[in-house]
Amino acid sequence: MLLEISDLKTHIHAQDGTVKAVNGADLSLRKGETVCLVGESGSGKSMLALSVIRLLPRDICSHPSGRIQFQWHHDGNTESVDLLSLTEEKMLEIRGARIAMIFQEPMTSLNPVFTVGEQIIEALLLHQPDITYAQAEAYAVDVLEQVQMPNAAQRMHEYPHRLSGGQRQRVMIAMALICKPDLLIADEPTTALDVTVQAEILKLMKSLQATHGTSILFITHDFGVAAKMADRIAVMYKGEIIEAGETRQIINNPQEPYTRRLIASLPENLPPVVNVINTGADKVAVNDKQFKAPLLKLDNVQVYFPVKRGLLKKTVDHIKAVDGVNLEIYRGEIVALVGESGCGKSTLGNAILRLIEATAGRIHFDGRDITHLSRARLQQFRRQMQIVFQDPVSSLNPRLTIATMLTEPMAVHAIGASREQRIEMAAELLSAVGLQADHLSRYPHEFSGGQRQRIGIARALALNPQFIVCDEVTSALDVSVQAEILQLLLQLREERQLTLLFISHNISVIEYISDRTAVMYRGKLVEMGETEKVCREAEHEYTRKLLDAVPRVSSAV
Amino acid sequence: MNRPVQGEQNYFLGVLYRAFRRKGAQTGLVLIGIVLLAAVFAPFIANSHPLLISEEGRVYSPLLRFLTPLDVSLVLIFFVTVPLFFLHIRIRSKFLIFIAATVLILVGSYVFISPPQLTVYEQYREKTAANAYQWVVLAPIPYSPKDYQRDRGDTGLVAPLAAVQGTHWLGTDVNGADVLSRMIHASRIALGIGFVATGIAMIIGVIVGGLMGYFSGVVDMVGMRLVEVFEAIPTLFLLLTFVAFFGRSLYIMMIIIGITGWSGYARYIRAEFLKLRQQDFVKAAVACGLPLYSVLFRHILPNGIAPILVAASFGVASAILAEATLSFLGLGLVDDPSWGQMLNQAVHSSTFNWWMAVFPGGAIFLTVLAYNLIGEAVRDAVDPFLN
Repeated sequence: MLLEISDLKTHIHAQDGTVKAVNGADLSLRKGETVCLVGESGSGKSMLALSVIRLLPRDICSHPSGRIQFQWHHDGNTESVDLLSLTEEKMLEIRGARIAMIFQEPMTSLNPVFTVGEQIIEALLLHQPDITYAQAEAYAVDVLEQVQMPNAAQRMHEYPHRLSGGQRQRVMIAMALICKPDLLIADEPTTALDVTVQAEILKLMKSLQATHGTSILFITHDFGVAAKMADRIAVMYKGEIIEAGETRQIINNPQEPYTRRLIASLPENLPPVVNVINTGADKVAVNDKQFKAPLLKLDNVQVYFPVKRGLLKKTVDHIKAVDGVNLEIYRGEIVALVGESGCGKSTLGNAILRLIEATAGRIHFDGRDITHLSRARLQQFRRQMQIVFQDPVSSLNPRLTIATMLTEPMAVHAIGASREQRIEMAAELLSAVGLQADHLSRYPHEFSGGQRQRIGIARALALNPQFIVCDEVTSALDVSVQAEILQLLLQLREERQLTLLFISHNISVIEYISDRTAVMYRGKLVEMGETEKVCREAEHEYTRKLLDAVPRVSSAV
Repeated sequence: MNRPVQGEQNYFLGVLYRAFRRKGAQTGLVLIGIVLLAAVFAPFIANSHPLLISEEGRVYSPLLRFLTPLDVSLVLIFFVTVPLFFLHIRIRSKFLIFIAATVLILVGSYVFISPPQLTVYEQYREKTAANAYQWVVLAPIPYSPKDYQRDRGDTGLVAPLAAVQGTHWLGTDVNGADVLSRMIHASRIALGIGFVATGIAMIIGVIVGGLMGYFSGVVDMVGMRLVEVFEAIPTLFLLLTFVAFFGRSLYIMMIIIGITGWSGYARYIRAEFLKLRQQDFVKAAVACGLPLYSVLFRHILPNGIAPILVAASFGVASAILAEATLSFLGLGLVDDPSWGQMLNQAVHSSTFNWWMAVFPGGAIFLTVLAYNLIGEAVRDAVDPFLN
């Protein structure tokens, strides 16, 4: 065993009590093996990783019990040491050289004032002081080539801001691998990346592991990624590792009820009960197309952001966020808009609601052209089109109670005769989204992420709209909460005959919820059709690439 | 993400709570509390009019008879505000009640109260000397700020506790008026100019900055040029010019300090609005079709007001200093007491009158220090990295 964690406890002492972040975890890792630590947010997986590499601030963290036994190779010998009782000097020799770490956020984990090369070489020279700078430089280029960085020798002299997220993560991996560590801890290394980039990084990590024989402790919340990467999976819940075993066994035959629930919550495993009813409704919608006019019709919509340079702020170029989109959405259907970050899907969602003005093109809602309506005349359409946002934290005003948040728009649109009546309607809304009426007098910070997202949905429903844009509504949520929100949306669609534009980057969510799918790439719609058809027989090359990149749990079966 | 975040009920109260948990802020608050009490109850603490007199079997209070409308208003407002502070109602209704009560009290006082035009301070001392009263209850400091005690001869500057007739704890000034009494009455000017000037600056700054930040583009560009123009105006020289042309008025001073000081607040608010208007909850408010004033002042402003609190407490301090500077230069108020004007007297004399420098100077120093301490504590409380 390279690493053996037994009965590890990590306690964090805050002002208002002690948090048992890790509460008696046992985990072991063989040489050359990948273990995926899977768990929902707050389960303590990052805390476990930071305990191993001892990066937690000592004054607020303590380990009441536990051992982390690590086989330390140095000077040709192997020594079995307990990382928790090692002195800081010895830990410095291990950290970076024998145990390396990759973090989640590639945008902030590189120092912006040093070049890429300087940062890689610093780590190398620290641990191997006997080599010269020129040798170190040559070696750094070599490692950058190993992580498949194009033009490695040139990239050495560039600053991090010139690299994309995927390239930065490659640099992070190069930095971690330069001293040929025995153990690599990767804390959600691909969560912030697009799915196609994620696929490349995962492939790279696997091939590097094969050549170097490094063991990887891979932390993720995504069962698809775990299925693709792991030899073994360990499931973490409330600071404990409740189940560990071979990847195939955990995914196909989980023993613990929590693991079962987690796997059942994956969009591809969600019960299609509601869906069956939906397919019926779809058929009607599809058949009616010939007779019915679309609820929303986009006609060559463009949103350009000017790029301004120089003293006089002359417009030199445009960023074409949305570049000529044609789309028709019919009553009662859920249309998914899928694409990677920066493809313009959120901008399009905002432009439909006139939160961003379209540069050109026409937006028709219910047969009326709303592209250039004045504020006053737009008011009646504001009632009918609403939006739900991605981030449950920033989408609710922290200074208003839920009651105010729900009743203020009603009052503006003269819904309900009196304040009392509006409060009553708000209470009904809350129960419709699965919250209690007594939550009305509370403030947003008193709710969890999933509950806040429900409140966001309730606010969108407050005006009783026909059409709602759901902008990545489940992206910030844990998989079990995501399942609840998806089912809630489907149920509300049935009850209120809603039409949804569901923006997401997550293919499996889209497969579950949507009737039709539009694929967006660099501001343009490249493919449009029935979701099933798009996902099975994609026509456009980009769609096929996107679908291939999606890590699926079924791939391990 | 999935567990509710335990926190304060209200962000604003949370900031105040965190700020005043600090020793520095508590010290500052105590100092300002003392100055505030001195300002409100000045006529009751230091007055040549006796509190109560029994003359020929008749008991009456000359002090109450000589109270000005302003004196009465300040005391009444104080007694309305203090219980209001502890009342459990929403901050907004508290604020509205406070404004309404203030207006009512001010109008009422100026309509119904008219103190005698002529005041003769000597009469009490003469009658006491002649044993005309059965008994007299004097104020703790039995001298009015403008009681020059000419009946006691041309005393002029007298060091603390050195006068033969009457004990002046902090001495007397050039004209023979009691220094402590003048200092207590001067605290009104110090507080008044600080609050009113900062209030004017904040209101202008919030409106201009809010519009700049929310609309950006052309509005922002024009607004920023306006800010730059106002930042280029030297406040002190403008004040000097106005005093030269329009005479010495406290209100003109307040207004000028206010309308030249808003640019800083506008910059802060602009930055906050630029940041907050991209937030999803603001977009949601727009998408709901809420009117502009609601989006600006209900959804954005309360979330961006915190940096202004910090700037405001420093602003009050600098307004006090500006008035003191002007008075020190001899361009402040003529007869009314002011700390800066007293400092002026310390140097305009052949001898060094230490008590005229130390006591008013110390008062200015402590008040400015108090506001700076509070400003720093609020800044730390607002800073998310320090929490």
